[in-house]
Amino acid sequence: MIAKFFQSRGARRFRRNRIAMASLALILIYVAIALAIIVGDLLTLEDTMDRVGPANLPGSWGSQTTEKRFEDIDYYLRQVERALYRRQAGQIIPRRNPEEALKELRLGSLQAADHNPVATRKRVDEAVALFEELEEYEDLDAEPEVLPKLEELERLVAAFYRPAGAMGGFSRWLELSGGTDRQGRSIAIRAIYSIKVAIQVGLVTAFISILVGSLLGAAAGFYGGWIDHLVIWLYSTFSSIPNLVLLTLLAYMFTGSIFDGTLIPIYVAFCMTFWIGPCRVIRGETLKLRELEYVQAATAIGFGKFYILLRHILPNTAHLMFINFSLLFIGAIKSEVILSFLGLGVKKGPSWGIMISQSGQEVINGFFWQIGTATALMFGLVLAFNILTDALQDAFDPKHV
Amino acid sequence: MWAYIFRRLVYNVPVYLGIILFVMAALRVNDPIWTYLGKHATQEQYDQFAKASGLDKPFLRQYFDFLSDVVRLDFTVESWDQPGIQVGKMIRAAIVPSLALTIPALGITSFLAICVGLISAYFRGRWMDQLLVFIAVLGMSVSFLVYIILGQYFGAFWLKQHLGMDLFAISGYPSGGLTMATWAYYCLLPILISVIVALGYDTRYYRAVMVEESNRDYITTARAKGASGPKILFVHMLKNAMIPIITRIMITLPFLITGSILLEMYFNIPGMGRRLILAINAKDFPVIQAFTAIFAALFIVTNILTDVLYAIFDPRVRLQ
Repeated sequence: MIAKFFQSRGARRFRRNRIAMASLALILIYVAIALAIIVGDLLTLEDTMDRVGPANLPGSWGSQTTEKRFEDIDYYLRQVERALYRRQAGQIIPRRNPEEALKELRLGSLQAADHNPVATRKRVDEAVALFEELEEYEDLDAEPEVLPKLEELERLVAAFYRPAGAMGGFSRWLELSGGTDRQGRSIAIRAIYSIKVAIQVGLVTAFISILVGSLLGAAAGFYGGWIDHLVIWLYSTFSSIPNLVLLTLLAYMFTGSIFDGTLIPIYVAFCMTFWIGPCRVIRGETLKLRELEYVQAATAIGFGKFYILLRHILPNTAHLMFINFSLLFIGAIKSEVILSFLGLGVKKGPSWGIMISQSGQEVINGFFWQIGTATALMFGLVLAFNILTDALQDAFDPKHV
Repeated sequence: MWAYIFRRLVYNVPVYLGIILFVMAALRVNDPIWTYLGKHATQEQYDQFAKASGLDKPFLRQYFDFLSDVVRLDFTVESWDQPGIQVGKMIRAAIVPSLALTIPALGITSFLAICVGLISAYFRGRWMDQLLVFIAVLGMSVSFLVYIILGQYFGAFWLKQHLGMDLFAISGYPSGGLTMATWAYYCLLPILISVIVALGYDTRYYRAVMVEESNRDYITTARAKGASGPKILFVHMLKNAMIPIITRIMITLPFLITGSILLEMYFNIPGMGRRLILAINAKDFPVIQAFTAIFAALFIVTNILTDVLYAIFDPRVRLQ
């Protein structure tokens, strides 16, 4: 059945569409990243929670003001200082086991370069002295001698750290490429981890909705009678509650239950609203197919009704399933953002929705890195699916309005 | 005609009964009283609440009680979260802000989308059409929330900060009466944002409708008779495309009442959608139940209206 589908005229027309094939490739890249996160451990949930640097750091391509550079260097310097000294009753005293603290010092993929406390302490003192000297200036931009000193300080502080592991340099670049959020967590890492959430939610809900919707729709259209009435009643009922109201209602249903905090409430809420679309379309198509000669021929030969449904009706609605799958995927990704903003969506770990709704506060302060990174990644996936849907529709269902 | 309307009404009765049944059951999966009171409440408090709200009665009894409330439009139940305030009063207070937002939005969007759809269909296949379709797809690929956040920043904050133009409020709703000036100050920005978002979807739909119409025989006939391009576009095509256009607009009508939940939440506009979300966050059970029931009822009524209008406007639709 599947092989036949790929040899069909529509499939050939689809394969000739270069833009559609490119967007399919893009989708596969997203899926591969999601798989690498789920199966292999490319990224773990802990990675998205780690502090990687100072808060609200612009991405690697962002321009930096002198003041912001000064604040950032302050953060990196304090991390090393804290490993060497501790504060007690207002006094700063050296730690008893600074070696341990230096070994544990970690900022994302950065770690302390030198575990020798004596040498490090000497250099830290030097850097702190330079830092305090810079602190004296009222206006950092006004004085010409500030810039060389700041660069000197940055060099000193940079020497305290080194990227861990073989891929350290690259992962450090990746961590900072999207900047950091209010809690100093890497925006790029969180946005990439969110691919997994989006693909997971999209795949699961689209697959279940298509399965349930097309089975019910085909059965209703083919058997007619009370089954048809029942299915129509079911989908009229569910579609008569405005979509967003139903979603919020279902999300509310799960608050406080054992599933709260998992993705299951989202799956249930999406599936319960999403199956209606494919069900309607496939019921309509089945009503048309039922009257065709080959179905009547199959009936005349004496095949059972169920066999005809499975062997002749369902395979011929496959193109509608693919189109609806693509549509539902987009719906799932977009609805996740809205539910997360309303506080009813993903609760544990990052997702594009959570990132975008968090960035509302940052945008007021002129910080666009979080909303930009999350939107860019989401835009790629949704655009690819939009193009794919159009191409599928053009190839298989050219008369569709 | 009346028989048709009557049939549609009767047909929708079991649907509505099903909705109420589903909504009531879904709201009772987690005991609403415990959810509202929290885990530290005592059994006496619980019993008191259950007795006052009728939740101690058997489910079927509650079902028919609530149903009779809805049928008699009797929403005198009091909110849990704001004691003393009746649900009916909340609904009345929330309807105007919702409509102030959504009616202009629907009007502007439909008008613009039909225009763009016509342009796109007129230039079908040429660069103008392809550009418009491309922009629509790009626009559809960005989340609604991003439009809201950036729209608020640039429309209200940035304009004021950098250009000194205090055109729109950052958020809120006029506490006094709604005049033209306060409406523009508070509601126009959210309306513009929702127009931009909806434009992508609607334009594509209307374009598809126009393209479908332009393939029909009567267009070829008109062309053959020598009718001018614009005349074909506006007189022949638009008139025949009115049926799908009306359907589309009618389908969006129920959302006038729900309002744009997101817009209302983000801009602090006290409409129906915001009320519902606040009630859900406060676990305010009577409000959630009543609001969902009303939303569903409005939805069904507009569905019936759509069918009837459809039958009036299109003589080809048979009422049998």
